[in-house]
Amino acid sequence: MKHLTEEELIECFYNKNKAANRASRHLEDCVACAEACAALESDLALFTPAEPPARDADYGARVWASLSGSLPRFEASKRRWPRISIWSGLSYAAACALLIACAFYAGRLWEHRQPPITAAKQSPSEAKQRVVLVLLGDHLDRSERLLVELKHADADSAEVVSPLRDEARSLLTANRICRQEVKQQDDPALAEALDRLETLLAELANPRGGLNAAALTRLQNEMNSNSLLFEVRILRSRIPDQQPAENSRSKGGTI
Amino acid sequence: MGKNDHAAISAILAGDKEAYGALVIHHSQSLFRLAFRITGNEADAEDVVQEAFLRGYRKLDSFESRSDFGTWIYRIAVRCALDKIGGHPADEIGRVAGADDPEQDEVQVADGAAGPDRLLLSGEIAALQERALHNLTPAERTAFVLRHLEDRTIAEIASALGIEPNTAKQTVFRAVQKLRRCLAPLRVKI
Repeated sequence: MKHLTEEELIECFYNKNKAANRASRHLEDCVACAEACAALESDLALFTPAEPPARDADYGARVWASLSGSLPRFEASKRRWPRISIWSGLSYAAACALLIACAFYAGRLWEHRQPPITAAKQSPSEAKQRVVLVLLGDHLDRSERLLVELKHADADSAEVVSPLRDEARSLLTANRICRQEVKQQDDPALAEALDRLETLLAELANPRGGLNAAALTRLQNEMNSNSLLFEVRILRSRIPDQQPAENSRSKGGTI
Repeated sequence: MGKNDHAAISAILAGDKEAYGALVIHHSQSLFRLAFRITGNEADAEDVVQEAFLRGYRKLDSFESRSDFGTWIYRIAVRCALDKIGGHPADEIGRVAGADDPEQDEVQVADGAAGPDRLLLSGEIAALQERALHNLTPAERTAFVLRHLEDRTIAEIASALGIEPNTAKQTVFRAVQKLRRCLAPLRVKI
């Protein structure tokens, strides 16, 4: 038979009024455990609830009297809380506004300290030069394409002739503008090349007797003899590349 | 008194501070009795009662209306009393040997051979009881008082002390074991 542990005895002692459990049934059968339980009861019986010193009937009133002065009214305390929360809310809002203002100001300062990157920051002459270079590069690109088409044009095909003439007329105007601009600069090679290109474009745009096979062949020979196409390519390569994608496309087209 | 307590609490929360006076007057005696049993000291018990009602008032807006105010303030008083005795070191005046040192449990009680005076023995028993209770930790003493003297259940003790029921049960067991070890010499004498 397994005897009850001290813990079980203690639990049994405090729950003796409850429904009979395994421990209480065991106590009925086991003399040793019953004696142990009796010893426990004897020990704990020494700790009888000592009667506390009597408090008179006014004790509660005295306690209340000592407390009442230090207790705030709940209504007042409730009113105080929203006030605190309003102040704290305003503080948070002010802090956020200040933070945003500082961030904005810092952003502005940062922006002003960045190096100028727009065309507007350049001097007018530099800006103009830049525009001319872009126009000239574009003009030389188109001219190169026209010369390539002219070089490989079939003189007997009437379908080729008309687009060549239209493109030549369009380029002729642009070439005059470019030539005038280049004349103001000290670049004789470019000016001479544009002169010869203009002559060719003028003949292609307005050929004497119409743009027939003979005229086309003559222009091809003229272009080949003075290496105009080669010269245009050289000049184009001297101009800073502004549109790499388009340039590479045009170069690809020449091969 | 339950309905009256709830009515008083509603009035207090609405701004009628004086309504708390009725609650204080009604529950002071029971709280004092509890506090005295835990602290074993009249002055400390009065302090505990005041502190409990003060804490209760401050937490009153968190009081759930379905609860019983008496039980609620009782739990607060237990915590206050525990805080109170927690401030007293366990090895205070009259402390008997520690529970972890059984050899020192041989408490020096007056020898019966010196004169079997029952009155004297009774005084010694009372003194030994007091020392035995002082030998307990604050939590053990509080748990024992609640279980043995206040006849509270383990669940109520756990709730009052803010611990798990199993922990409360073990605390009560430890307290009883320690007390019995301290009382061992008396068993021979009586």
